[in-house]
Amino acid sequence: MRLLLVEDDPTLRAQLREGLQDAGYVVDEADNGRDAHFQGETEPYDAVVLDLGLPLLDGLTVLKRWRDAGRVTPVLILTARDNWSEKVAGIDAGADDYLTKPFHMEELLARVRGLIRRAAGQASPVLRCGDLALDTRSGRVTLGGQAVTLTSHELKVLDYLMHRPGTVVSRSELTEHIYAQDFDRDSNTIEVFVGRLRKKLPPGLIETVRGQGYRLAGP
Amino acid sequence: MRARAGSLRLRLLGATLATLVVALVGAHWWLTGLFRDHVLQQFDASLSQQLDQLTARLEFDAQGLPAVGPRGMSDPRWEKPYSGLYWQVQRLPVLAGERRAVLRSRSLWDAELALPDDALADGTIHRHDITGPRGEALRVVERSLQAPEPVESRWRLMVAGDLREALTAVDRFTGVLGASLGGLGVLLALAALAQVAVGLAPLKTMQQGLQRVREGRQQRLQGRFPEELQPLIDEFNGVLDRNTEVVERARAQAGNLAHALKTPLAILRQAARKVEPSEFSELVGEQVQVAERQMHWHLARARAAATQGVPGQRTALEPVLASLLRAMDKLHAERHLDLGADDVAPGLAFAGEEQDLQEMLGNLLDNACRSARSAVSVKASRDGPSLRIHVDDDGPGIAPEQRAVVLQRGVRLDESRDGSGLGLAIVVDLARLYGGDVTLDRADAGGLSVRLSLPAAG
Repeated sequence: MRLLLVEDDPTLRAQLREGLQDAGYVVDEADNGRDAHFQGETEPYDAVVLDLGLPLLDGLTVLKRWRDAGRVTPVLILTARDNWSEKVAGIDAGADDYLTKPFHMEELLARVRGLIRRAAGQASPVLRCGDLALDTRSGRVTLGGQAVTLTSHELKVLDYLMHRPGTVVSRSELTEHIYAQDFDRDSNTIEVFVGRLRKKLPPGLIETVRGQGYRLAGP
Repeated sequence: MRARAGSLRLRLLGATLATLVVALVGAHWWLTGLFRDHVLQQFDASLSQQLDQLTARLEFDAQGLPAVGPRGMSDPRWEKPYSGLYWQVQRLPVLAGERRAVLRSRSLWDAELALPDDALADGTIHRHDITGPRGEALRVVERSLQAPEPVESRWRLMVAGDLREALTAVDRFTGVLGASLGGLGVLLALAALAQVAVGLAPLKTMQQGLQRVREGRQQRLQGRFPEELQPLIDEFNGVLDRNTEVVERARAQAGNLAHALKTPLAILRQAARKVEPSEFSELVGEQVQVAERQMHWHLARARAAATQGVPGQRTALEPVLASLLRAMDKLHAERHLDLGADDVAPGLAFAGEEQDLQEMLGNLLDNACRSARSAVSVKASRDGPSLRIHVDDDGPGIAPEQRAVVLQRGVRLDESRDGSGLGLAIVVDLARLYGGDVTLDRADAGGLSVRLSLPAAG
């Protein structure tokens, strides 16, 4: 899952990036409102963590412009502004969640997980596909109750597919959500990860749709 | 208590009406006097004319007795008995045994004019007021006449006229004048009333404007006022604007300070979390928590205190509640709660600042959403001068003996749960600043029912 992190304080931004990367997210960063707006318009993020007090363009304005342009990416506002009037203004501008500083990293991670899950239409924090279960809170994958060991990249591919069971996901879409913006992308590596996943999971679970991409077989 | 300065309307009316009465009564007295003098002068002049005629017509016979000449006196009233016009001639001094009236007009019949004794120089005319033969008031003019021959004698010639006719004219004039001036007075009094009403109307408008400002229906005094009042209105609006500005600035500065501190605190907390757990990292974590609570508490207080005493505040309940419920739906999306505000009477308003209402309701709803199992419901109604808002949840509730404790600052029953732990205490504090209160009870659904009472706006 690929996130956009918008925060103008460099120290806090570094801490947030570290925390989010540790949790398995691919993180792009922006330190001002104008860049944030541009990146959010052009890149397919799974969620955005947005500060409000930003240089060049205010966070609320950025959010409103995304929503006006029809972007539905889930957005979590992370700000020092903790009045209820400000929270209401944030939600009304189109935010999906609101967290105030200072915060606990665990709380932020839980909320980001929830956002991504709800955006994909999944109600439970544990994603299931037949015998296969993925606990989004811990990143633990089990098959019939037995733990399955995955590398971080394998987990990212499976995580993305399990959020969209029965949907065809193209290779380029997978690439966009698994690598950061400045990464030298090679869609062949996706095939490698999918191949490794197929060996660890029951046969036929990840189908190849010729010329279109991959699909996780429905339960 | 200070004595009231009285009514402007009464002052203006009193002064105007007093002047009016004095002026009209004075005019009546002066004009009546003038007319009376004029009428009496005319009357005297006509009597003097008659006296001149009598003097000219008087002849004396060989014995020296007077008689009126062959042409007689011209006015027919001399002939009509008691006609009110008389003349009489008597000797000076009156001889013993002789009648007082040696000669008199036929109109006197058998009566005589009883004139007091008088000493007259030749050619002068004297005036007397006496009672006539029929009891009428008579004005008499007299002069003395020296008859040199055939017998030297002095005579007193007098002409009398009834004053009643003249005085009747004066009375009629007085009556008509009085009625006219009275009518004029009533008209002027009505005009004065109208003038005062029209003149003072802007004050009434201003008073209504002030009332609207106090009730919060308007932010400033609106409308155009006369040039005498406009400076006052402008000054007052200036004070209102400045008040709002000061409140806004104080609030913004408190907010800026808190915001400026929060990012460093967030960094400190993350940094403390990264190092190996130690006494030091625990201390940092703890103190960040303390600092956060303090900021939250004082920010809310500063904001609310800055608002106190600002007149003209009115916040409609429904839009605030609707926006907060929208926010709660997203913030607590994970919990799939049923948020209801069906039992809220329409048109309710809070006599206070919108942000403060948002802060109170936001904290209460947030707490309820955290505690609720499946549903949160809001009820609101008007109770006299108070607005009563109930926020109920179906969570575990709070035991009666613990309810007083949780209203205290910073106390949280469940320390593991998120939140600054100040929510309820801030609500209590804000509500009390507004003269309201918060009580806790058991909800119908089994959980906690928080009952907020606030001043209602009309």
